Amino acid sequence: MKRIAWLTVASILFSGSLFAANKLKVVTTTQDLASITREVGGDRVDVTSIARGYQDPHFVEPKPSFLLLLKNADLLEVVGLELEIGWLPPLLDQCRNNNIRPGTPGYLDLSQGVEILDRPSVVNRSMGDVHPLGNPHYWLDPANAVRIAIQVRNRLAQLQPADTAYFDQHLQNFKVRINDANKRWMAQMAPYRGAKIVDYHPSLPNFAKHFGLDIVGTIEPKPGIPPSPSHTLEIINLIKTQHVKAILMEPYFDRKTPDFVAAQTGAKVVVIYPSVGGKPGLDDYFKLFDYDIDVLTKALR
Amino acid sequence: MTRVGLRTFSLVVLIAAPLMAQQTDGRLEQLERRLDDLSRQATEIRQELNRLKGQQPPAPAPQPQPEDLTKVEVVPAPQPAVGPLPTAAATQIPPPQALTDVQTVNNVINPAASKVFNPDTSVIGNFIGRAGQRNPFEFGSDNERPPLGFDEAEIAFQAYVDPYAKANFFFSITPGGIDLEEGYANFVTLPYDLTAKVGKMKAFFGKDNTWHTHVRPWVDQPLVIHNFFGDEGLNDTGVSVSKVIPNPWNTFLEATGEVFSGHVPDVFERRGPNDLFYNAHLKAFRDITENNNIEVGTSYARGALAGAPGGNSQFGGIDVTYRWKPLQRGLYNSFIGRLEAITNHRNDFDRNLKGFYASADYQLDRRWFAGVRVDAADRPIISTEGLAPVHFTDRGASGTITFWPSEFSQIRGQLRRTRYGDVGRSVNEFLVQLQFAIGAHGAHAF
Repeated sequence: MKRIAWLTVASILFSGSLFAANKLKVVTTTQDLASITREVGGDRVDVTSIARGYQDPHFVEPKPSFLLLLKNADLLEVVGLELEIGWLPPLLDQCRNNNIRPGTPGYLDLSQGVEILDRPSVVNRSMGDVHPLGNPHYWLDPANAVRIAIQVRNRLAQLQPADTAYFDQHLQNFKVRINDANKRWMAQMAPYRGAKIVDYHPSLPNFAKHFGLDIVGTIEPKPGIPPSPSHTLEIINLIKTQHVKAILMEPYFDRKTPDFVAAQTGAKVVVIYPSVGGKPGLDDYFKLFDYDIDVLTKALR
Repeated sequence: MTRVGLRTFSLVVLIAAPLMAQQTDGRLEQLERRLDDLSRQATEIRQELNRLKGQQPPAPAPQPQPEDLTKVEVVPAPQPAVGPLPTAAATQIPPPQALTDVQTVNNVINPAASKVFNPDTSVIGNFIGRAGQRNPFEFGSDNERPPLGFDEAEIAFQAYVDPYAKANFFFSITPGGIDLEEGYANFVTLPYDLTAKVGKMKAFFGKDNTWHTHVRPWVDQPLVIHNFFGDEGLNDTGVSVSKVIPNPWNTFLEATGEVFSGHVPDVFERRGPNDLFYNAHLKAFRDITENNNIEVGTSYARGALAGAPGGNSQFGGIDVTYRWKPLQRGLYNSFIGRLEAITNHRNDFDRNLKGFYASADYQLDRRWFAGVRVDAADRPIISTEGLAPVHFTDRGASGTITFWPSEFSQIRGQLRRTRYGDVGRSVNEFLVQLQFAIGAHGAHAF
């Protein structure tokens, strides 16, 4: 009897490992890519993100524990446009996984098929920490979310052709769901088209373009450079003269300067979450936008 | 005028005045009607003009219709597709193109395209100033290290050689000349979870010995590194192989074995073909939570003793690094605690030499860091006159404050007190350092 019990346990464990082996192991650099990949891949993928939604994705520490994740990955999805340049290259060089190196089917740079804004024609470091290939925060446009999903579907189908129809169906479901959600978001934001806003870091151009917001200023004098007193005064004057109602900032930046500017101008500080997982409850791409649109429309009223 | 004439004139005036008033009122009414007509005509003309100009009469602006996201397609990328996709359409064979309709292709040649193969190039400048008591024990005479001067520029070239290896060259330019600090090929696609480096490199011994100047969180070297390994550290030409060791404890375990040619100035000396320098390192890393982690390493190095007719020198070390960095506040606050202890067994000493440093660095704000470090290390002194070698123990303590104007520059001040065992007195110094980087410098391993 005991032998049978052991055999049963062993067979369950063994079958579990076989079942797990059928799932593609996907590692994404951000939780936004992870969320969209789960939409497309369903239960045929096992998705893990390196960066958390509440941390600045520019500054992730390339910890050895991430090497263990990457070592076993079938697919690595990256935002690209040098968002991860400060931490991903040493991980890729040390992870001992040739299947996810750039140029292989296991490496997917999703910036390749999306609409990219803010491509500078001239760039040098006197302009701050500018991304020379364009603004990497493109996932904050729901249309780009669809473009990401299409690319994910194509790559998953390439890596696991037997599940192509499954991925197609999930992609179509995602398109329908996000199209419906987008109609709702656009309707909520419709009264505020053309509203002038100030952001903390230039991470919202795609979001602003999609919803018709006008970003008239940025708390950082230059990307990656903390606010200076003189620039803060300029922003205060700008908000007063342009009647800006809201200052949008990411949760990982310090509130000191935005709060000071708000106190001087009457504008509201809105913590807008740029990524899935930015706070408890923002578990997927839809909940992220539901939340952000809600807080933004309340601030712009 | 007669009285009859006056009466007649008055009568005429009395009769004519109302008649004239009636005529004036009629003209005013006519004028008002004409003005109304003109106003109406002007309105009609304005409306007609607006219609001709295509202007719409003022009305609430219609809201743009949301884009149908089910119809969104990917933006064509400038790069070739990775491969054919397994769709039904892909399996259909398209009809052959009529070659009679073929036209020339207008390829746009980018003359700068081949420059993408140029290696990433960077220069990191390091300037050091010094104030306080003279310190001939570490820095030599004041002439060798002026109060403020250029200390080092690191020039780096990094690029993939081919699909199998990445090359890294780091040149160190100092007032004394130019030196190849490191130059090696890093093979990152080896089987069996191996990576390898071949060339001139820093030995993987502890933590400080692996750092370049700009990575070190202090202006100077800790005493134990300086006394045991010298200014350049354990750095030689050889082969390094690392392997990740699978384990059931969700811990990153990496073992590294290295063999070098055997020449490290004042540390190891190559007296014969078999006098190689061997190094081994075992590293364990584990996340405690997502906000903090711990790394423990052990190291062992062995080579022929420099400056002696025979015998060898062996080093054993342990390093512990604790890091705390809350993910959401990680831009503004973090902490790193370090401990590194080394023991040195030399054939010409009857006891082991020892040394250590312990440090704590806290990030005060986005661009401000403060740190402390305590040091103690034995220092061997080899007589050139045949006397028995002796050693003294040096001790030190430091405090640092660092400001990062941006990711690419930093200004650091370090207040240092060092007590040298052989002379029995302390030296107080203030060191200031300016470092800045230009170009593309690859991120360093964690």
